[in-house]
Amino acid sequence: MQTCEGIGYPGRMRIDDAPLPGIDDERVRQWEAEFEAAARRPLPIRLRYAFIRTYKPVLDDAAYRSFDTMADYRSWCEANLPTWLGYGRQV
Amino acid sequence: MAARFDYAQAEEIRAAFARHGVRYLFLGKSGAILLGFPDTTQDADLFIEKTVANGRAVVAALRELGFALTEAQAAEIERGKDFVQLKNGPFDVDLVFAPDGIETFEGAWRRHVEVEGFPVCHLDDIIASKGAANRVRDRETLPRLLAFRDYWLRQRR
Repeated sequence: MQTCEGIGYPGRMRIDDAPLPGIDDERVRQWEAEFEAAARRPLPIRLRYAFIRTYKPVLDDAAYRSFDTMADYRSWCEANLPTWLGYGRQV
Repeated sequence: MAARFDYAQAEEIRAAFARHGVRYLFLGKSGAILLGFPDTTQDADLFIEKTVANGRAVVAALRELGFALTEAQAAEIERGKDFVQLKNGPFDVDLVFAPDGIETFEGAWRRHVEVEGFPVCHLDDIIASKGAANRVRDRETLPRLLAFRDYWLRQRR
């Protein structure tokens, strides 16, 4: 059994094949059926289904942005983006 | 608003970056999708090796792809700001030079996976990056992504 200590998911270190925390078996079975279905599709089809285009307020309003550090980018997202976009750490 | 990212554009990135010798990896949800994760996203996240030569190669490749970069913007990319968001081209792309949760490009390169010629971060690095970023959208995705990791590793054994 391989450990997942390299995975930086705060508070969610787990062992392969151990139950996913807080996720019931039925949900995992549904997801696995989706993974199986996706695996049967060729890559161009998978990409066609995966990439969508919707307007994201503020975020889409500039053609170019750059940040010296990822921390600067995260701070900018927290300060400027609507919380419902999900780019912040708090709901 | 740019067009939706599609397979043909992914192929164009792969070809242009190869012509210019760019060292890069698909990261984030777009990387997971290339590995087979069924989900939706809006743009491609590219983890770029942070060297001046690689930055110059990225700029040349992006201009060839149709991104309208000013000299100042090109200089920032060449210098390797940690994060650059481009919406001035045929599709939206985020250039990430220092992703959260991944120590070095070299380490990520050693672990990376090729999918039909696309260089993609290993799923553990994608998960580590999302875990470290810890945004609301990442926390929503992570349980399903962890389930996909279990499935994906079983398929690779």
